[in-house]
Amino acid sequence: MSFFLLHETASGYALFERIESEEIGQELEEVQKSVLDLARFSKTVKLRSFAPFKSAAHALENIMDVSEGIVNPSLKAFLEMNMPKAGKKQTVQLGVSESNLGGGIKAELGYDCLHNETVRELLRGIRLHADRLMSQLKDGDLDKAQLGLGHAYSRSKVKFNVNRADNMIMQSINLLDQLDKDVNTFSMRVREWYGWHFPELVKICADNAMYAKLVKLIKNKGDLGEEKLEELEVVTGDPIKAKQILDAARASMGTDISEIDMTNIDSFAERVVALTDYRKKLHGYLVSKMHQVAPNLSALIGEMVGARLIAHAGSLTNLSKYPASTVQILGAEKALFRALKTKGNTPKYGLIYHSTFIGRAAQKNKGRISRVLANKCSIACRIDCFLDKPTSKFGELLREQVEERVRFYEEGVTPRKNAEVMQKALAAVGMEDLMDVVANDDDDEEDAAEEAEPPKKRKAAKAEAAADSDASDAELPKKKSKKEKKPKKEGSEKKKKSKKDKN
Amino acid sequence: MAYDRGGRGGGGRGGGRGGFGGDRGGRGGFGGGRGGARGGAVSKFGGGGRGGFGDRGGRGGGRGAPGGRGRGAPRGGARGGARGGARGGAKVVVEPHRHEGIFIARGKEDMLVTKNLVPGESVYGEKRISVDNADQTKTEYRVWNPFRSKIAAGVLGGVDNIHIGPGKKVLYLGAASGTSVSHVADVVGPTGLVYAVEFSHRSGRDLINMAKKRTNVIPIIEDARHPHKYRMLVGMVDVIFADVAQPDQARIVTMNAHMFLKNGGHVAISIKANCIDSTVAADIVFAKEVKKLEEERVKAQEQLTLEPYERDHALVIGVYRRQKKTKASE
Repeated sequence: MSFFLLHETASGYALFERIESEEIGQELEEVQKSVLDLARFSKTVKLRSFAPFKSAAHALENIMDVSEGIVNPSLKAFLEMNMPKAGKKQTVQLGVSESNLGGGIKAELGYDCLHNETVRELLRGIRLHADRLMSQLKDGDLDKAQLGLGHAYSRSKVKFNVNRADNMIMQSINLLDQLDKDVNTFSMRVREWYGWHFPELVKICADNAMYAKLVKLIKNKGDLGEEKLEELEVVTGDPIKAKQILDAARASMGTDISEIDMTNIDSFAERVVALTDYRKKLHGYLVSKMHQVAPNLSALIGEMVGARLIAHAGSLTNLSKYPASTVQILGAEKALFRALKTKGNTPKYGLIYHSTFIGRAAQKNKGRISRVLANKCSIACRIDCFLDKPTSKFGELLREQVEERVRFYEEGVTPRKNAEVMQKALAAVGMEDLMDVVANDDDDEEDAAEEAEPPKKRKAAKAEAAADSDASDAELPKKKSKKEKKPKKEGSEKKKKSKKDKN
Repeated sequence: MAYDRGGRGGGGRGGGRGGFGGDRGGRGGFGGGRGGARGGAVSKFGGGGRGGFGDRGGRGGGRGAPGGRGRGAPRGGARGGARGGARGGAKVVVEPHRHEGIFIARGKEDMLVTKNLVPGESVYGEKRISVDNADQTKTEYRVWNPFRSKIAAGVLGGVDNIHIGPGKKVLYLGAASGTSVSHVADVVGPTGLVYAVEFSHRSGRDLINMAKKRTNVIPIIEDARHPHKYRMLVGMVDVIFADVAQPDQARIVTMNAHMFLKNGGHVAISIKANCIDSTVAADIVFAKEVKKLEEERVKAQEQLTLEPYERDHALVIGVYRRQKKTKASE
């Protein structure tokens, strides 16, 4: 039997052969001892072959594959050339540092790949003595190769960012929030400033954007006459208001204003108007982005709240990995941790609070609606993240379901079954085949949809069972579930699995 | 000597750190608070006269708390009188610290400094001090802020042996923007090597830029949870320093140790209690983490708190697989 070891370095692939082989039982300890001593170790392990990378680009391509556990063509060629064929008499084993790559090699080349404690120790030894064992390499060569490759690898990682679209959403939602704040403070400043000249206008016009527009139109209140009435009407959209403004301008108690002061106020008002317009445009951009990236989530909870959830999680992928209980309190971390520390009540909602559903629910139902909504959100963003087919059908139907749930709490109208609704959604999207219980597991779309379904069915069952008892102690079990987030998650996975098994 | 000041350059920080998980954000927040405290101190001194040293005024304020704790660097507040706010002319004497590669600049206040590998440039807006040598040459040092670096905090807190010294190879997990890494690179010098691992792309960008200037830093943008993904880039190292603030921190560190740490090599971990379990007392969390490390053959040698620089943080120094080795002394 011959035993080889594959060691990937920044400068190339190295294949070592293990010469001495001890009995399995003591192997590990024996190896550990010999590893430390170069003289002993070099007797144990011998360099069979070394294939340097041809260029920096070649090295980069290889490290990308190695880190993902893919067998690069050049690795394949290297192994084919240097490993003896696994014959009838002789078994050939290859020790690798990671099992994924081992699996790949096994599939491509048919060598038995080992990845165990002994292999790890031997590879540690090789790494420790790499400079000495590989005689082709001069001192410091490896370090230099590592430096070059490290830079190349890291640069390519930063360049290729999987969350590109999410980043745009995150930036624009943050900018939008910032703009809201700024536009407000700027508008207040315009009001203050222009208020010295025309204090009555603040009372008549409460809207910030309109106020700034009026400032630009009116300018010096002394010049305001009947001829501007029409324009005033256009801006205010209300003839009565326009008339009021005209009257107020005549009887104003504001101070007079010089030309130069007015010019400055005017140019500032113009900025505010421009910013307000820009905010509107940005909002449109965000909405369209959200429809592209997360159509179901937007349909369910609205673009703004959806975008906030994504921004808070860091990306859509991250958000879809969260359990619903986490989604529910996303944004209320401070309250949550305070509650955990003091053993008080955990918050009922975080960012989700801004959804219209919770505002509409009665006080005692807010927590429940929040829970339901979070459940649906987490399903929606999983669909968005993993479904290849762009559709917002699921989101729309999930939204209806939440509506029904609200009505259930308010009026006692029994909501539809989850399975029923999802079948409808699948039918609408044209993926009826997924409704079949017997699904062949070879399609991504299927997986996504399947993932979406089981928790819902489960919830349906639970909701029905709990519907009666829910009323009294709904809050209590929820709190528990949050504290035991992990166990619950595992539990749900198990349930999912069992569901699949049944299928 | 000349001082170069510059903003704190904290702009990019908060956002970038998010990448490692929400917890890192917490740290950014802490920094923000500090900034505020500093500002206050500056105004107390009256910005005018102190001109270029506004920053220092704040610093003194921040540092008052430790008092005589840090054994490495006694404070010298009383001595500053002669210096006033003048920009030049003040005397700063740089002395080597007990830890090799680290220095103390003794001036109005004492500061921890490292020898700048790239003279003439700051990495994150920190101050630089250049000192005339006897042979007419100049050596430049960079001030190492213990509020921004856990290692500096540990050194000032009086850690026995930091194990990071000239010529050492260091695997630095949780490198962030590379501010601390740049100092570690200074300490290990041109003969040493720092493998800086960071997962967040945002702060990774800054890290790569820093590494361009310092050839002894190898930036690795990858998840430290999967050491096998960057196994081609890392050789055997003498020390692993980890500042990853993750609940499974001990696992991350030991996995890396199994792959890359020499027998008898050392591990230095900064543990943030809140990131691991916010519901129990910090001491208990630390004890648990130390136990986890010991199960993986990392024997803790030293543990110290990073107060007053960080709240509920501990720096744990351990040795990996010592007993079997003959070179344990290393």
